[in-house]
Amino acid sequence: MDKLKNIVPELSKIKKENPYGVPDKYFDDFYARLQTKIDAEKRLVPRQQNRTIRFLKPIIGLAASFALIFMLVYWPLKIFMPNQLANNTEILDKNDVDYLSIVEGIDEDSFYTLLDEPSNSVDFSNEDLMSYVSTNVSEYEIYLATNY
Amino acid sequence: MDNDDRELIANLKHESKRDLAFQGLVNKYQERLYWHIRKIVINHEDADDVLQNTFIKVWGNVSNFREESSLYTWLYRIATNESLTFISSKKRRSFMPMNDVSEYLMNNLTSDPYFEGDEIQLKLQKAILRLPEKQRLVFNMKYFEEMKYEDMSKVLDTSVGALKASFHHAVKKVEEYLKNTD
Repeated sequence: MDKLKNIVPELSKIKKENPYGVPDKYFDDFYARLQTKIDAEKRLVPRQQNRTIRFLKPIIGLAASFALIFMLVYWPLKIFMPNQLANNTEILDKNDVDYLSIVEGIDEDSFYTLLDEPSNSVDFSNEDLMSYVSTNVSEYEIYLATNY
Repeated sequence: MDNDDRELIANLKHESKRDLAFQGLVNKYQERLYWHIRKIVINHEDADDVLQNTFIKVWGNVSNFREESSLYTWLYRIATNESLTFISSKKRRSFMPMNDVSEYLMNNLTSDPYFEGDEIQLKLQKAILRLPEKQRLVFNMKYFEEMKYEDMSKVLDTSVGALKASFHHAVKKVEEYLKNTD
C-alpha cells in the first residue's frame, strides 16, 4: 500500500476510514429481527407432500389432459354433428359388409388358390413393356422422369 | 478454515445445536458482512434487507456447504451475490438503464442520513461509485477491507491476475477523479 502514495498521491491524502454509520444498537438487536424473519419463512414453507401423491401427480395430470381433450373434441362433435359421425360409421360398415359378402361368395378351394397365387411376380417381356409405355406414357413424361 | 468456524459448521449441521450455532455465526460475521454489503448498496435500509437475506440463505444452505472453501469466503460470496441481485432487481423494477445504476447509488449516497464522513470522504465515495461494478467491488474489498487477492478470487470467482488489473484500473480512475474534480 506504500507504493500507492507515489502512484496516487490524492487518494493517499484521504484518511482510510469508514464514512458510513448505522442506527444506535443496530447490531445488538439484529439477530432478534433476523430470527423473527426466519420463523416467518419457516411457516411459509409448505408441508412436504405425501410421496405417493408426488409420484402420481404427473400421471394423473396426463390422464386428466387426455380426458379434457376428448371432452373438448369428441363431445362437441357428437352433439353438433351427429349425422356426420353416423355417416362415417355407416360407410365403414358398408365397405366391410361388401368385402365380407365377396369373400363369403367364394368357395373354400378357390379362396386358397387365390391366396397361393403369386400376385407380385408378373411375367412380361421387354416388348410388352415397350408397347405399354408407348401407349400409356408420352415422350414428354419420359423426358421429365429421366431428368429429375 | 479456523477451528472456531469448523466447529460452527459441525454444530450447524447438527439438528439439536443448530439454533445456537447459527446465533454464534451471526454474531461473529454480521458486522463484517454488513459493511461489505453497505458499500455495494450504499443505503442502510437496503443493506439491512440484504444482510437478512444473506443469513436466511446461509440458514437454508448450510447443510450443502462442502467446506472446500473457508466459511468466511463462502459468506462473502453469498453476501456479494445477494447485493448484486438486489441492485439488479431495483434496476429491473424501475426500468433503469445501465448508467443510471450509479446515479441511483449516488442519490442513495447524498440522501443517506447515516453518512458521517466529511467533504473529502464524500468525494472519494462519489469517485468509487463512478467505477464499473466489478472494479468498484474490487476497490472496496482491497482498499478498505484489505482482503487478500486469493480470498477475493474465491468470492468473486475471478482470477487473481484479473483482480489485480481491476484494482489497478480502479485506483487510477479514482485518483483521476480526485485530481480533476472540485
